[in-house]
Amino acid sequence: MKPQPLKSTLRILIALVIAAVFVAPFVYMLIGSFSTAFTLTGTLDWSAITWTLTNYAFLFSQSQLYIPLLNSLLVAAVVTLGNLLFCTLAGYVLARREFRGQKLVMLSVILVLMIPAHVVIIPMYLLANWLGIFDTYLALILPFLVLPLGVFMMRQYISAIPADMEEAARIEGASEWTIIWRVVMPLCRPALAVLGVQVFLVNWNSFIYPFILTSSESMRTLPVALALLQGYQSINLPQLFAAATISALPTMVLFVLFSRRITEGIIAGALKG
Amino acid sequence: MAGNSRSFRRTDLLFLSPWLATLLLFWLFPIIASFAVSLTDYQLLSGNFAYVGSENFRRLFADDVFLRAILNTVVFTVGTLPVTTACAILLALFLNANLPARRFFQSVYFFPSVVSLVVVALIFSSLYARGGYIQMLGELAGLSAPEHGFLFSQMTALPAIMAMDIWMSSGYYMLLFLAALQSIPRELYDAAALEGASWWQRFRIVTLPHLKPMLLFVVILNTIKSFQIFVEVFVMTKGGPLNSTMTIVYFVYEEGLHKFNIGYGAAAANLLFALIALIAWLELKLIRERTV
Repeated sequence: MKPQPLKSTLRILIALVIAAVFVAPFVYMLIGSFSTAFTLTGTLDWSAITWTLTNYAFLFSQSQLYIPLLNSLLVAAVVTLGNLLFCTLAGYVLARREFRGQKLVMLSVILVLMIPAHVVIIPMYLLANWLGIFDTYLALILPFLVLPLGVFMMRQYISAIPADMEEAARIEGASEWTIIWRVVMPLCRPALAVLGVQVFLVNWNSFIYPFILTSSESMRTLPVALALLQGYQSINLPQLFAAATISALPTMVLFVLFSRRITEGIIAGALKG
Repeated sequence: MAGNSRSFRRTDLLFLSPWLATLLLFWLFPIIASFAVSLTDYQLLSGNFAYVGSENFRRLFADDVFLRAILNTVVFTVGTLPVTTACAILLALFLNANLPARRFFQSVYFFPSVVSLVVVALIFSSLYARGGYIQMLGELAGLSAPEHGFLFSQMTALPAIMAMDIWMSSGYYMLLFLAALQSIPRELYDAAALEGASWWQRFRIVTLPHLKPMLLFVVILNTIKSFQIFVEVFVMTKGGPLNSTMTIVYFVYEEGLHKFNIGYGAAAANLLFALIALIAWLELKLIRERTV
């Protein structure tokens, strides 16, 4: 069943055409962000294209895009680190212990995993107000520090590794903290990498919660700033595309570096969840 | 205590507490609060707060905008789900049939689903504009575009968002189907080929039954995601023109967090919740019955 050379060439051609369909809009964004030659209707004027960095310069000098950029980085980093630690802690207890109510806790993880997040935007807004954290970093971070998917993934992963090392450490008098930090976390490195990349991306791209939980310009994350930039009179399409490119850039870099981890995370979530 | 590793330790409660706190505060509480508040006429700005029972729900079913939101959400889901699923399966089959550089193409097809929805929606807003590239493509095919661009016509705004969604999420579901395809033992195909089964017979007898669990998962996941469509609408159309892209979550946002009719918005959100649960349950039941 070896494919014939001609047939295989044809298949690669088809594959390339499909690839072009998926990539073209991003190429359009990228080219647009480095040029000024847009016609009034919004298409690129290919004949008059001039390459320039002015769109990017404008964003950082006039619109202060670095504030949402830093906000997004900070929030995504803290949320990711939080999930790596807290999901491991919870996953470890759920995988290794037997206690009353353990099944209930595990069930709560799975049930919560299935709850559509958008249906609680109004009570989340009220809650942030009542807690006095509305429009602060705490509102952007606290609700997402321990994601049910992470608890579930870590529990599954830890269940599958033998407990010998933990036992050995325990016999030598190691505290539970030391066991987590020195034994469990290092053993979980592959799972943590998958979870980390996944959580970072989801947070970096998330729109609705940062949008409803903040109101001031200094608290906006990048997707929120981007969606609101669109309405500004002072901004034009090439500048908007430059902002969109900045927002997509970390995603692209992560994707090139960790595309296998990202796909693993999604498949793991699907097969086990 | 030593030697008995399965017993509960004092530190365990500490280890579990971040999750338990999140569960209680950010999941359980909002769900209960959402239900409680939907039985009131709570308005944030005027401070109104009185128990009104099922009044909000009765009002919703007489509200043309909400009914339009339900209709649009259903149209969006019913229109995109089969197409996205079919595209995803076709892409997965195409990549799985030992294509050279498979990993590369897999990554490229999947790429749109890792980029922020806001970014994608901004790009497509420009592509859909009057004189934009989609119109140019349409003209090549002999079609005429709406006067003010695809997003500003009642006829084309929702289909335009649907098309973007199919483009964006096909690669995501492709990945899931690809994982399912790769778990099918090769021997089954070899045996089928030995008995002279055609491509279609092999697909029906070997591939399809193995894809079924993943198909069930994808259909349910896709439905839940489709029913929550919001970002596209917020960035591209704001529900317009004339509510032609109004969806349930956008309605919840507009009533609850824009006009601050908290009780009324929460009631709409609860109906959405019930609707999603009902449909997921029905799909689970339907596909289970067909599989057995």
